[in-house]
Amino acid sequence: MNTIELLTELAVMPLVAFVIGLAMVLMMRKIAAKIQRRVGPPLLQPLYDIVKLYAKQTQNSHGLLHDIGIVMAVGGYIAAETMVPVPGMNGIADKSGLLTLAYVTMIPSLGLALGVGQCANPNGSIGIARALTAMLAYDVPFVIIIFGAAWVYGGNNMIDMIAAQQLGGIATWGVARMPLLAIAGLFAMYAMLGKQPFEIYVAPAEIATGPMVEMGGKHLGGLFVMQCFQLFTASAVYVSIFLGGGENWPLFLVKLFAVVAIPMSMAFVFPRHRTEDVLLSVWRWPVLIGLAGVWLAMH
Amino acid sequence: MNPSVVALVVALPLLAAFLLPLVPGSARRVVGPLVLLVLTGIGMRLWDVASVAPVVLAVGDFLPPLGIVFYVDSVAALFVLAVALLCLLFWPWAGEGEHLDRKQSLTLILAAACGGLAVSGDLFNVYVFYELAAVASYGLAAGGRGAAGQVATFRYVILGSLGSLLALFGITLVYFMTGTVNLAHLAELAPKALVGVPGLAAFLLILLGLGVKAELFLVNAWAPEVYATAETRVSALLAGLVSKLALLVLVRLLVLVFPLPGTHEALLVLGLLGMLTGELAAYKARDVRRMLAWSSIGQLGAAFMAFSVPGDAGLVAGIAIALHHMLVKPALFLLAGRWGGSLGRIAGAARRSPLGAVLFVLFALSLLGVPPLPGFWAKYLLLSGLAGQPGGLWWLGGLVVLLTTVVEAVYLFRVIGALYSRDEGSVAADQSATAVAGSGMLAAVLLVIALSAPVLAGTLDRMAVQMGDVDGYVTRVLTPPAPAVPIGVAP
Amino acid sequence: MTALDTVLALSTLAALTAFLFGNARSYAWLAGILLTGQIVLLAGMDLPTSASLDFTIFGQTVGWQLDGFGRFFALITVGAALASVSYMGGEWGERYAAEGKSRRWLHGSLAANVMAMLLLLASKDLIAFFIGWELTSWAGFLLMAQGTDRALRAALRYVPYAMAGAMAVLGGLVLTLAWTGTLDLDGLASAMPDLGNARLAILLVLFGTGFAIKMGLLPFHLWQTPAYAEAPGAGTAFLGAISSRMGLFGLGLLLVKMITLSRLADLSLVDGLFNARDVLAWIAALTIVLPTFTALKQNDARYLLAWHGIGQSGYMLLGLVVGDATGSAGGLLHVFNHATYQAALVLSVFAVMHRTGTADLNSLGGLVTRMPLTFLVMLMGIIGLAGLPPMNGFVSKWLVYRSLMMNGMPLLFLMTVLGTLGTILSVYKLIHNTFLGQLRAEHEQIREAPWSMTVPMLVLVGLGFLTGAAPGLALRWVAQAQAALGLPVMSYTLGGIESARGSLDMLWVVGVLFAGFGIGAILFYGVGNRSKRIHQLDNYAGGHFLSADVRYHYSDNFYAGLMHRIGPLYRGSFVWLESALASATDLTATLMQAWYRQAVPALALLAAVVLGLGWVIWR
Repeated sequence: MNTIELLTELAVMPLVAFVIGLAMVLMMRKIAAKIQRRVGPPLLQPLYDIVKLYAKQTQNSHGLLHDIGIVMAVGGYIAAETMVPVPGMNGIADKSGLLTLAYVTMIPSLGLALGVGQCANPNGSIGIARALTAMLAYDVPFVIIIFGAAWVYGGNNMIDMIAAQQLGGIATWGVARMPLLAIAGLFAMYAMLGKQPFEIYVAPAEIATGPMVEMGGKHLGGLFVMQCFQLFTASAVYVSIFLGGGENWPLFLVKLFAVVAIPMSMAFVFPRHRTEDVLLSVWRWPVLIGLAGVWLAMH
Repeated sequence: MNPSVVALVVALPLLAAFLLPLVPGSARRVVGPLVLLVLTGIGMRLWDVASVAPVVLAVGDFLPPLGIVFYVDSVAALFVLAVALLCLLFWPWAGEGEHLDRKQSLTLILAAACGGLAVSGDLFNVYVFYELAAVASYGLAAGGRGAAGQVATFRYVILGSLGSLLALFGITLVYFMTGTVNLAHLAELAPKALVGVPGLAAFLLILLGLGVKAELFLVNAWAPEVYATAETRVSALLAGLVSKLALLVLVRLLVLVFPLPGTHEALLVLGLLGMLTGELAAYKARDVRRMLAWSSIGQLGAAFMAFSVPGDAGLVAGIAIALHHMLVKPALFLLAGRWGGSLGRIAGAARRSPLGAVLFVLFALSLLGVPPLPGFWAKYLLLSGLAGQPGGLWWLGGLVVLLTTVVEAVYLFRVIGALYSRDEGSVAADQSATAVAGSGMLAAVLLVIALSAPVLAGTLDRMAVQMGDVDGYVTRVLTPPAPAVPIGVAP
Repeated sequence: MTALDTVLALSTLAALTAFLFGNARSYAWLAGILLTGQIVLLAGMDLPTSASLDFTIFGQTVGWQLDGFGRFFALITVGAALASVSYMGGEWGERYAAEGKSRRWLHGSLAANVMAMLLLLASKDLIAFFIGWELTSWAGFLLMAQGTDRALRAALRYVPYAMAGAMAVLGGLVLTLAWTGTLDLDGLASAMPDLGNARLAILLVLFGTGFAIKMGLLPFHLWQTPAYAEAPGAGTAFLGAISSRMGLFGLGLLLVKMITLSRLADLSLVDGLFNARDVLAWIAALTIVLPTFTALKQNDARYLLAWHGIGQSGYMLLGLVVGDATGSAGGLLHVFNHATYQAALVLSVFAVMHRTGTADLNSLGGLVTRMPLTFLVMLMGIIGLAGLPPMNGFVSKWLVYRSLMMNGMPLLFLMTVLGTLGTILSVYKLIHNTFLGQLRAEHEQIREAPWSMTVPMLVLVGLGFLTGAAPGLALRWVAQAQAALGLPVMSYTLGGIESARGSLDMLWVVGVLFAGFGIGAILFYGVGNRSKRIHQLDNYAGGHFLSADVRYHYSDNFYAGLMHRIGPLYRGSFVWLESALASATDLTATLMQAWYRQAVPALALLAAVVLGLGWVIWR
């Protein structure tokens, strides 16, 4: 592959991810609406939201770091998308691997945390403290899954993982080879997406607390973009590890949306966990199931 | 060299001590130091000669095993030199309290007795010089401060006298079994005559008897209080010098007279307990002088452990520890002179006497065995000697050495921490100029030894070989010399 | 005269001149020149290089020789000292001297540390090693004790640990001599694996304890935090960067070179299930996790960093013990990486202290606008410490993770990641409480730290970034160290490693990351309405407008939710253990003293005679 092709891929991959992420946001809202017996938003509503936020008259910035935080949040995910293989495009997935991807996706969180910190609103800081605690919670099962995958596929290159799964159809998919890990992974991804009952740190119901408290206009718009990326990344990673990756685009999309749809359909019927309960629920079942899964995979 | 010079080691200071009161006032001051200087010269000469071959003197030409024999090997010569130098260093100069004449006389007697202990070649003389040293040290200790000093000295006298009695009893036992008190003769007879329960009992009695001065565990309860209450220079002399000579004599007896099974183990166990109790008690001490006193007990315990290792390895280690302690402990006592009392009193004293504090740190580090200071090599020899033995009690001994060194570090650094504390409110007096000068000289010696360690290591090895050479001892003393001139240097 | 001679001579010269002229304002220049000279010589040295000086004592030859392993540590040592010295050379040092503290002693003890460490790193036999070891310990003590009474007390707490470590090593040394007859390191490398299991285990415990104490491995870590945190800033940076790594150096020699890892795996504790190597790996893993989560609870920035220093050493040992090419490379590379970011972090904390007078995380806040460069240093530093891309800390940890994954050690892997996650939480608290949130009214007028302080810090984090983007630069030294120890050497590229089982090319990762940031910046600044800058002190909460005199900075008990869950797990067991040991010693000591205070010593003498005669008769 020549450099031009690679550079093109690097430019296209984040774009594709963003579009898919937007669609996922839409799907999420539609699911919520169906459960709550509403009509739900129109097709382009997520896009409109972003445009609206960017175009708002009142744009308050609490200082350079407030802005840079958003830049890091969006930019970090743009970089991360080039490490997630999609059908036909591998980007720099072979130069980084699953483990690196996991750590690169922490950069946006750090950016967000810095930006919120600069706002000097104690409620924002409290939200970050909770968000980081939640990260501590869900990353533990997540790395167990990374370990299991690396062990089963003999390395942490995602391209190889996908190739290995596509050799023999569904029987060689990760979900068949390590079913327990797939369950734990779904749980971890669920927690990662920060929907009920794991949305204590976002606290959307009470805008006065949580990281978003000082976010408006472009800042909030940036976070919206970040959420799109996040949805895509989480589901794409899950699909690449457990569901055979993307043989082609239609199948890939089906898998991606299905993976997001499952937790979303459950989310809206739950109340909210307190921070300590997030820790407890994530550290109990997915970790135990994950460890059992690793043990099974290794024996 | 004429071997009769050896007799001067004892005779000169003894004579000076008794004639001192007769010397007219102005000249009286210089007599003692002069005698000690002469003694230093003799010591150096003896060292030169003895490092080639030991010197034997049969006093009054009565041939051994009948007459009195002085035997100077390089260890003995070095101790003679040390006696002279340390007595000079801790000489009671004017202005240090009353009864100056008596103190000077007693110091001279102590020098004579210590020199005698170093060179004596028979058991009876050992006993005589030991008693002489005891009397001199009682006298010196009694010059201590106040009622506490008197009580401490009284305990010392009681223990010391009982110890002498025990030793005498042991010697009698030896004489009863062998019919001789000459060490060379004993060395010849011992393997056959001094065996079994009586032989071991004699050893034990002599060990416990002489052990009183050597700060041997079980009979050393006098030491801390005496050192803490006596004058600094007396403590320094007792801890630095007298204890080492008692030790030296015990080792000579161990090598020459008592190569029995069980003696080494006994030394090991007592040394081990001494080190353990001494260092731990020092850990609890809140006063620098008592701390040093207990530390001295611990170090003597280490020396006993070292000598308990059979063979030359033990002698090398023991000599190294004894010499090192003889250098370091007097210096520490000197510095502790103005820094007595509770640790709180010396908080921040380093600001007022920076040099004194640095010297204290230097000696403390050497005592701990921090390389490349000489104390390290002593500790290294001790430990490798113990490690070379087949397990069991010996390794336990090694373990105790290692653990107590940690304890030692804690209490010594407690003092150092107090010295360098930045708390205002130090009430300690400035360090005296004589103490700094004296310990400075010892520090210079320490550093020279550290730098020339590889060379001195060879010397130490030769000293140990000479000391452990039983056959040589017997041959040199008992072979009648060529009839020409008086007694010559043995071949 | 060999290059090693010159290096040792330069470091001795540095120590001498430091004690002579250290009080002079411009002394730092001389120290800097001497240190730079040492770096140049070390970097250009042929390996191995011997020193001309050697001597024989008590039948043992004592000499010095520097190989790739020692050179790796030596470069970091001298580099860390250079950073400290340049930090000391400007306003910080002036203030230090103006407070009545001794710059001479600070310079002197720092130079003494460098000299002692070089002697240690270049040792060719165990006696030279022990000499270097002790000198390092006591030079370290000297550096820790500088400045304040609190520092002195912390240093005194180090004494029993240091001495216990030294005595353990000395005990191991004499037993080694007794069992193998040699003390030469190369000779031991061939002689030691032939020892029986019991003997090897004894040596492992003795030497291992000694080295573990220096390194601050559990359970011997308690001394390190106060000792490192309370030292003066430049000293803390040096201590935190490299000092305790001497323990790792010793462990590397012992475990890898002399005993060898495969022999270590033969020493099984529970037949076939658990061997000495596992024990060491688990000690390392616990050293990662427990101190990291202790750091999370600290309220003093210096203590927080010192606790992390302990935690990070776990990664180094773990990598080394796993011992394959990537793992050991990661462990060793982490030594270098940790030195760069830890020194920078410590210096940035002291820069904040320089301006505000405190490192208390509940008394700061909002300083990002006042001290932006220091903030930048701390930001890059914490990214390195947390082990996130693009800083170098990520690369070394990645190598360790990868080796644990490929060797099938899931629980150890989980521990390392848990440590990293805890670190992220903890360092965010550090930067949040210092630089983000509410600016205190009394800090409104403070200025950025002077250039003499910011430049060394920026150079350090710059180095951390450079070796993060191009780890190959540092991996060169690591590969030499691996070769010198007899480990499998990792093949590396400029950007990381290339392997069939998952490569890492940091050049691309970092490039893409910054391209992403660029696009993010274009999206943010180029699109949409212009934003209005709100003043830092113009704030509100819950509908109330807040003024600067109201304290609303959220800093105390930062992770309340987390602590609600894991708080009860903090038992202080090690502190309890330490004080129990101290009490036991104290009690025994009291008993011993009672013996010497007995009323009738004559009776004891009599008893001794009776006992002794009894022994004579019945033995």
